[in-house]
Amino acid sequence: MGAGYFAELLVGGLAIGCVYSLVALGFAMIIRATGIIHFAQGELLMLGSMVALSAMWVLPKLPAIAVLVCGMLAGGVLAVAMEFLVYRPLRLRRVPLMNVITATVGMSILCINAARIIWGSEPLRYPELFATSAYEFLGLRVSPQLVWIMVFGVILMGLLQLFLRHTRTGLVMQAVAQDADAAQLMGANLTRIMVYTFAISGMMAGAAGVMVGSLFFSFFEMGFVTGLKGFVAATLGGLGSLAGAMLGGILFGLIETFSAVYVSSAYKDGIGMVLLIVILLFLPSGLVGLWKGRR
Amino acid sequence: MSAPPLASVTAPPAMASRVATAVVLVALLALPFFQPHQFVLHMLALVAISATVALGLQLLLGFSGQLSIGQAAFYGIGAYTSALLTTKLGVPFLGALFAAGIVAAVTSLLMVPITRLTGAYLAVATLGFSILVYLFIKNEEWLTGGSFGFMGIPRASVFGTVLRNPGHAYLLCVVVAALVYFALAQLQRSRFGRAINAIRQNEDAARASGIPVTLLKSQCFVIAAFVAGLAGSLYAHQVRYLAPNDFTFWKSIEILIMVVIGGMGSLFGAVLGAAVVVLLPEVLREIGDYRMLVFGAVLMAVMLFGEAGVAGFLSAIGRRLGRALRSSGGDGGATQASAARKDRARA
Amino acid sequence: MRELLLEADALVRRFGGLLAVDAVSLGVRRGDIHGLIGPNGAGKTTFLNLIAGVFPVSAGTLRFRGDDITAWSAARRARAGVRRTFQNLKLFPEMTALENVSIGLHASTRAGIFAALARLPGQRREEREIATAAYAALDFVGLAHQAAVVAGTLPYGHRRLLEIARAMVAKPPLLLLDEPAAGLNETEAANLSALILRIRDEGSTIVLVEHHMDVVMAVCDTITVLNHGRKLAEGEPAAIQADPAVIEAYLGQGEASIGEAADAHA
Repeated sequence: MGAGYFAELLVGGLAIGCVYSLVALGFAMIIRATGIIHFAQGELLMLGSMVALSAMWVLPKLPAIAVLVCGMLAGGVLAVAMEFLVYRPLRLRRVPLMNVITATVGMSILCINAARIIWGSEPLRYPELFATSAYEFLGLRVSPQLVWIMVFGVILMGLLQLFLRHTRTGLVMQAVAQDADAAQLMGANLTRIMVYTFAISGMMAGAAGVMVGSLFFSFFEMGFVTGLKGFVAATLGGLGSLAGAMLGGILFGLIETFSAVYVSSAYKDGIGMVLLIVILLFLPSGLVGLWKGRR
Repeated sequence: MSAPPLASVTAPPAMASRVATAVVLVALLALPFFQPHQFVLHMLALVAISATVALGLQLLLGFSGQLSIGQAAFYGIGAYTSALLTTKLGVPFLGALFAAGIVAAVTSLLMVPITRLTGAYLAVATLGFSILVYLFIKNEEWLTGGSFGFMGIPRASVFGTVLRNPGHAYLLCVVVAALVYFALAQLQRSRFGRAINAIRQNEDAARASGIPVTLLKSQCFVIAAFVAGLAGSLYAHQVRYLAPNDFTFWKSIEILIMVVIGGMGSLFGAVLGAAVVVLLPEVLREIGDYRMLVFGAVLMAVMLFGEAGVAGFLSAIGRRLGRALRSSGGDGGATQASAARKDRARA
Repeated sequence: MRELLLEADALVRRFGGLLAVDAVSLGVRRGDIHGLIGPNGAGKTTFLNLIAGVFPVSAGTLRFRGDDITAWSAARRARAGVRRTFQNLKLFPEMTALENVSIGLHASTRAGIFAALARLPGQRREEREIATAAYAALDFVGLAHQAAVVAGTLPYGHRRLLEIARAMVAKPPLLLLDEPAAGLNETEAANLSALILRIRDEGSTIVLVEHHMDVVMAVCDTITVLNHGRKLAEGEPAAIQADPAVIEAYLGQGEASIGEAADAHA
């Protein structure tokens, strides 16, 4: 294949990989803090996308950054609402984990159908967010959409790392993720940390939603498959590891984009599913686990 | 060390419960004689079909504690297998029905490695599997008709007689559902049933007692797949048209909702749940669009307020009534223990 | 000299950087009640878990009745005759006491799915036998009157007994008891001692991890003392009680008797 086509695929894979990384980070953070696989994570992506789109309908001149922030706010607020209304009562009643997970499935169903009622079942187009002409880079033409997704994606992931490592709240969150009981004994406010965890996961998902929307389109079921793929990415990298989530996302984005060309585009979604089952069976601790084991 | 002779480890179902089940069954079987409208018979047939799949999931989820959200895959495999065998190969219906169950069961063997997983990981793996099956059904048009659908599926027939009468088709579905129900009830009270229940309640302790956990979990998967395959075949010959969209993730979720609403662990609950999920949107036409929204909310509510579901609610009422009728001032525990002693004396 | 039912040869278990069991060798004679004691954190329960197969050994071998069971899974060992109770009770809370005990007989019975569905006479006979044997086990530990009671509602002392009933119903050649006297009062502990002796008389060899010194001294034929994951001493109860190294391990200084030292530790 020509260098130009290869570069296109590469950029496309990296861009969608950034999206998956953001979703995967959300999964990883919630799993680390609560042990829950948050089935409704994809719906946070979708709702962030829809709300941002609605904002653009209301204020058509909105700059791209503002749209992104809008999506992030929507994702964050809704995630916190979910935590407060449903997950917190479940946690306080010490409901068994299986039931909590089933409840997240219920939440997912609720969100998807609420979105269908509010926004309808037709896919919705995003207006152009970025410059419409392609960028020239080293003699190759690259879509600006993809470039900006990568830029924003990397910035967000970088900000998250800074937050977790260099702010007090971030360090407390890491402590809670490692050992909630010990952290509480040290004075961590578990409830507040839960809220922050969900808020950040929601914001990551919301940002991802805006990116996917701008790449393709928004519709009420978009969160489901993308959320599932984000989970695959997180599992590939190593569930419970933030570095794994980011690595897994990029890697999975590349795998999916390239195998869609070589294998079959009709089964493109299936690639992720096969990968998921294979990883769960043979490499459950993901790539990070593999790397740690080798040392 | 003398021990009174015991008939069984678990006390057999109370007489009242057996009578109630018999009454319900007779009522269901007698229904066609009252010549209800064809549409009613069709809807009830669909309830029976959904109940059959839900019963399989109840074995998997309620008894052995494995959350599978991929049952629609086996439902679909059964449906298309039966459709293909009857239309392309001229296999008689009963043979196709059985083959549908077998093919679904054999396919579930692919999932056996997945039974090592627990909790949400298992759930996600079953979901992934179900999506793969859906994609296969959608893409392989030469086999399934893909998005164009599979048309011209013949009606069910028993030993050469085509069941043209909607009442007869309904009876077929009810009979299959009833057979599955009683088979699973029998399993529930058996050594196998106790073992998988033990696995659900405390897997470590089950292992420490020598129970082959992965083997039994896999067997549950295979049985649930077989049952779903049977239901799929009935569905294919009842609606006589199949499309991939009938067998998406949403179908798996619907089946899960039936089990959860009806009550986890209760076979009767699975049937009730199926009735609610299938009939409620018809009864409340207005909520049609909001159906799944409501179910999502109900799912969360049930998780929050207790898994006993509708069946649990009904049996709690039944227990209260029973105590009120006996009203000799004895407490529930004494009644339970004395009933057990009576059973032992009878044995 | 009775033969060794269980031989542990230099068992090691590491958890990351922590060496919980450090090359402990042990031989359990058939028919013995073999005690395993030591201060908190000595590695007793970890060692018991290694015998039971809860997790694999980091090094060393384990032989049971001549077979090398080092790589066997917990369920396989249970089927071969190694049964156990858990320190923090793992009952089946929604089942009755009788049903709980009947699980202990799963491995010695055969009726499968087909037999259950077809209601073969063999299956029905087996169910009766299971019920009878389970009831007898409950009677043996003194819980016959609770047979139909749901396990989750039983008082603590009865739950401990139920766990023992479930572990011994299949008359296992080797029974591992993990702190069965935890939380019991003096009377209950004395009854437990009598029960353990009766179980041994029925034919089971017993390995007992326990802090309650009265029980240990009353029932054990041999005692192995662990400290910091290593074997500190081994021998008959009287010798162990007088062993200054053992006493010091429990309290760090000279102490009048092990019993007092253990009470101070508990």
